[in-house]
Amino acid sequence: MMSLNKEINFKLNGRPVSVTVPVTMKTLSMLRDVLDLTGTKYACGEGECGACTIRLDGITVNSCLMYAVECDGRELVTIEGLKTEKALHPMQKAFVDHGAIQCGYCMPGMIMQADYLVENNPGLNREEIQRGLEGNVCRCTGYTKVLDAVTAVVESGE
Amino acid sequence: MSEIQHYLAPDHLDEALKAMADGDVTVLCGGTDLALQTESGLRKYANTLINIRRIDGLSEIDEEDGKIRIGALTTVTDIKENQVINELAPVLVAAADQFASDQIRNAASLGGNICNASPAGDMIIPLLVLDAVVELACWQDGGVQTRLVALNEFFTAPGKTVKRDHELLTAIIFDKPAADFVARFRKSGPRPALEISMVSVGIGGNLENGVFHNVRVALGAVAPTPLRARHVEAALEGKSLDAENIKAAVASAGEDATPIDDVRGSAWYRDHLVRVFIEEVLNDVLEQRN
Amino acid sequence: MDQKVTAAAIEKTSLIGQRVKKPDAPDKATGKTRYINDMVLPQMLIGKILHAGRPHAEIVSIDVRAAEKLPGVHAVLTGKDAAGLKFGFVRDNVALKDKVRCEHDEVAAVAAETEEQAEQALRLIKVKYKDLPGIFSPEDGRKEGAALIHDNFPENKSLHFEFKHGDLAAAEAASDFIADNVFKVHHVTHCCMGTSCAIADFDNNGKLTIWSQTQYPYNYKMDLAPALGIHPGDIKVIQPPIGGAFGSKLDAYPYEPIAALLARKTGRPVKVMYTREEEFKSSPTRQPAVIHMRTGCTRDGTLTFRSADVLLDNGAYTSWGPTIPVVMMRTTSGHYRVPVIDFNAQAIYTNNPYAGSFRGYGNVQTTYATAQQMDMLAEQLDMDPIDFHLKNAQKSGETTPQKSFLRECALDDCLKTAAEATDYTKKHKQYSFAREQAGRYKKGIGLASSIHNAGGAKIHKSDGCGTILKVDDYARVTVITGASEIGQGIDAVISLIVSEELGVPLEHVSIVNNDSDIAPWDVGVHASRTTFIAGNGARRAAQQARTQILKAASGFVGIPATELDLRGGFVVQEQCGTRVIKLEKLLRQMHFHPKPELVMVTDYYEPNSEPEGADHISDHSAAYSHAVHIAEVTVDTYTGEVKVDKVTSAQDVGRVINRMGLEGQIEGGIAIGLGYVLSEEMKLENGMLQNPCFRDYKVITAPEMPELDLYFIESDCAEGPYGAKGASELPTIVIAPAIANAVYNATGIRFLDSPLTPEKVAQAIWEKQQAAERH
Repeated sequence: MMSLNKEINFKLNGRPVSVTVPVTMKTLSMLRDVLDLTGTKYACGEGECGACTIRLDGITVNSCLMYAVECDGRELVTIEGLKTEKALHPMQKAFVDHGAIQCGYCMPGMIMQADYLVENNPGLNREEIQRGLEGNVCRCTGYTKVLDAVTAVVESGE
Repeated sequence: MSEIQHYLAPDHLDEALKAMADGDVTVLCGGTDLALQTESGLRKYANTLINIRRIDGLSEIDEEDGKIRIGALTTVTDIKENQVINELAPVLVAAADQFASDQIRNAASLGGNICNASPAGDMIIPLLVLDAVVELACWQDGGVQTRLVALNEFFTAPGKTVKRDHELLTAIIFDKPAADFVARFRKSGPRPALEISMVSVGIGGNLENGVFHNVRVALGAVAPTPLRARHVEAALEGKSLDAENIKAAVASAGEDATPIDDVRGSAWYRDHLVRVFIEEVLNDVLEQRN
Repeated sequence: MDQKVTAAAIEKTSLIGQRVKKPDAPDKATGKTRYINDMVLPQMLIGKILHAGRPHAEIVSIDVRAAEKLPGVHAVLTGKDAAGLKFGFVRDNVALKDKVRCEHDEVAAVAAETEEQAEQALRLIKVKYKDLPGIFSPEDGRKEGAALIHDNFPENKSLHFEFKHGDLAAAEAASDFIADNVFKVHHVTHCCMGTSCAIADFDNNGKLTIWSQTQYPYNYKMDLAPALGIHPGDIKVIQPPIGGAFGSKLDAYPYEPIAALLARKTGRPVKVMYTREEEFKSSPTRQPAVIHMRTGCTRDGTLTFRSADVLLDNGAYTSWGPTIPVVMMRTTSGHYRVPVIDFNAQAIYTNNPYAGSFRGYGNVQTTYATAQQMDMLAEQLDMDPIDFHLKNAQKSGETTPQKSFLRECALDDCLKTAAEATDYTKKHKQYSFAREQAGRYKKGIGLASSIHNAGGAKIHKSDGCGTILKVDDYARVTVITGASEIGQGIDAVISLIVSEELGVPLEHVSIVNNDSDIAPWDVGVHASRTTFIAGNGARRAAQQARTQILKAASGFVGIPATELDLRGGFVVQEQCGTRVIKLEKLLRQMHFHPKPELVMVTDYYEPNSEPEGADHISDHSAAYSHAVHIAEVTVDTYTGEVKVDKVTSAQDVGRVINRMGLEGQIEGGIAIGLGYVLSEEMKLENGMLQNPCFRDYKVITAPEMPELDLYFIESDCAEGPYGAKGASELPTIVIAPAIANAVYNATGIRFLDSPLTPEKVAQAIWEKQQAAERH
């Protein structure tokens, strides 16, 4: 059975991309299965755990629920797009330095959301950071060092 | 495998409505409900998939002629952060703030949440308290036709509304609340953000000299649809907001709420929480006033 | 040697106890790490499983013809393709079933070119079932006339364990107080963020390569082989990075031999990966239990006996779950000084999902009972709980009735530290008085402790770990260890230890531990053993290398080896730190020499412990440790919500090696335990899971995480690496009863059944109020 496909054009991590996808495909599948960007993870596929978090025109969304066709004409940033050629992104570095990463599977989504949170809310306190990460499930860390890392970034003012 | 034959993402409302004229259409907006329901097999795609996200003019929040109009494509985040809403209808902001997570709030549209018609519908409860109406549009007789439906008459059964397949919900409208209007939203769960509500309660009304007028009480997840709790309203309407009347209001909740047992909670607990929340919210209003 | 040796001396520093970054963290932070879930191999097919969707049935017929004809489908397998290939501890399982015994039973499997094709093929498979009466509790399973789930396990009886020590009747008679309760602990699941996944490929010599999330690669071969009818030696296990395990990957589960059977049939690599819904329904659970426990003491607070009669829901097949009594009895006999023990446990087959191993492994369940009964007895004695605990706390050098030798025991230190840090005694009294007063929010403080293995657990013929270490011509060290990295940070610990011993920068140490053809044997990641055993192995190997290097250096420079040290990538003089020769230069000299010498050493570390015998009397771990948790909560008596304000933990860790990693393990362990006691619950109705999604199965999220105050007590374990003990399970074990005790302190209500959901707490409070109003 043929599914209806559509060609879409968008910016991905700063580069233009053109790809043809089934109209019912979700952005998560497009990233992982079509574009081979596996940093964004499937962990529930239902918008409950945040492991698939990406930035779409600057806002964070669960890519498992976002239809790929909706990316047409827009700008996506995934975890692979955060670091520069020379260095880790400050949020990535903070997660590494503070021991916030154990198995790491949830971390791309966690880092994307943390970065969005800090960017839009200067001067967050720990409780506000906790709330801001409510949509990102982690099973290894108990969140404590994730909160330490994000707090450090907030305090450094970056 | 979907049977979709046509996909479009129109920029204008008339284009969208024309394409929807035969009613054999699945509407895609934020995708947060559609993705889940089609993946699980609960819902099948129609012949045409229409992405309404890019339609002009449906994402605005305006105050005009004593009414507040919220475009259907407004996201829950937009509502949470909008200055007009924060000033004039903070009960909507309270619900938006406890709605899922940032990632969902950023994508979910108000129109989508209403049309999904979940018995729990978090954004619906405060809108019922605000006595909102929805604007439905369709293509008819060569033009865009609209009609208004009161939100408390919009829902017919879990997941079902009076909106017809060829109609699009375009806006939510409610009267700008008066200066003495007070409202509250309370939802269950220690992690309210990641819960499909087990129970939600919204209460609002004009409080003048300690007397509560124009009382609206809305309950979520304790009936097949979100509803106005008429018995609780009657217990409060035109009466002074005091401990005795609050007690009577709480007692009458059982006549409006008909909760069921399900995987999230028992009927007993839902009923219990409805009473707890009604009492809590009314006491809060009372305390604030004093 | 033309090179000018600089005068700058290198001081002796130590990494032990420092905060060391996890070596794989940068790649994980950038999305570069390729987890098994991300892997795509050339020519790879997608495997999907048809689950029965019903708890107990005969399979009357399966028609796969339509599925086989679907374009893109390369194989469709059913029970006949796995007939006779029994696997599992008691050989009660097969990869594809001939009979349905639980909801997720694997009835058929498909390999296709795309996921959509595989899913569609599943939909085309027609199965006729004859439903059989289902058994959904062990009580029902052992009733006379109950349907038999396995033909060869009469009365649905599975494993049985017992341990007795001393005269129970006499001890009961001598007791002034006896706590006597039935505790019911429930089904929860691991919720690893990376769902279960295996990729299998046979080469043309008939050898299997399996990419697996296993946490015990060597015995895994032994457990997987019979499901395929091949020799364990013909299996190569590759362990890519995984998204968590927590014990769920300590056995072979059907999806793994299914991937291999599909690979063998198609001649191509096949990847099987669960959806989250499959994960919830099909993963092994934590073992639920009904524990009838009795603890006695005399008037002066001395414990007299502890008895436990345990009924386990075996589920449909026997994995690790029903073996937890081996650990449960250790807690029963070793949690505090208890002279008389009577332990009995029986597992009964049911049509429920079956349990595997889960962090804490039986100790979680047992401590839920023992620690609450300690709390109850303290109240009956009208004794400050801390004093009661201290009175019965073992001291270093004591031995338990099962012969666990507590060479270094810091339980009293842990108790005192936690109590002081939280002002426990005062608050406990204060909140007790407050609970009878009016008020919606009630504060509570609860204390719990436990004991656990901290130096491995010799339940298998060996509890050892092999290490191979080489230092190359650039002074880069490769440590090939049998220990698996499952996210817990053994990579950081081993790097740290090797760096410490060989004086090389951390970044110059790399770990190879993911190919069973290369790495030596290790029994697996369990029993909190990895830092202790793999750490000791790495240390011993590094010390061997060090000896060899210093001996060679001594030969070249004429300074006795005893006066040399390795620091900062140099051989230096021990006393003053003066650089003698750059290490990599020395290594090249050793190598390019008429008598060439490369640094390549091997070690096999078997801990100094005794095998767990059938009588269960042995010192089965090389060390034991304790943790004490004090939990502070606020209970909303209207909604029943329990908010955890703070958890204070004092744990005997022996010695801190990687401080940051250790903290992370304790924090994460507490989070899993909090979910267990407050919100996680597999809701089974007639064996069918009603809540297979994160929306309805509530794991702990960031806003719920309390403030944590962690204290590390360093008892300096003689056997452990640098004195370290294993640590990662105790935090999950101790937190649950600490919370239950705190809720009791706040409300006066005992929760013998977990979890303490808001509804359960609210209902109990309401019923108590109703009862009070009636009087």
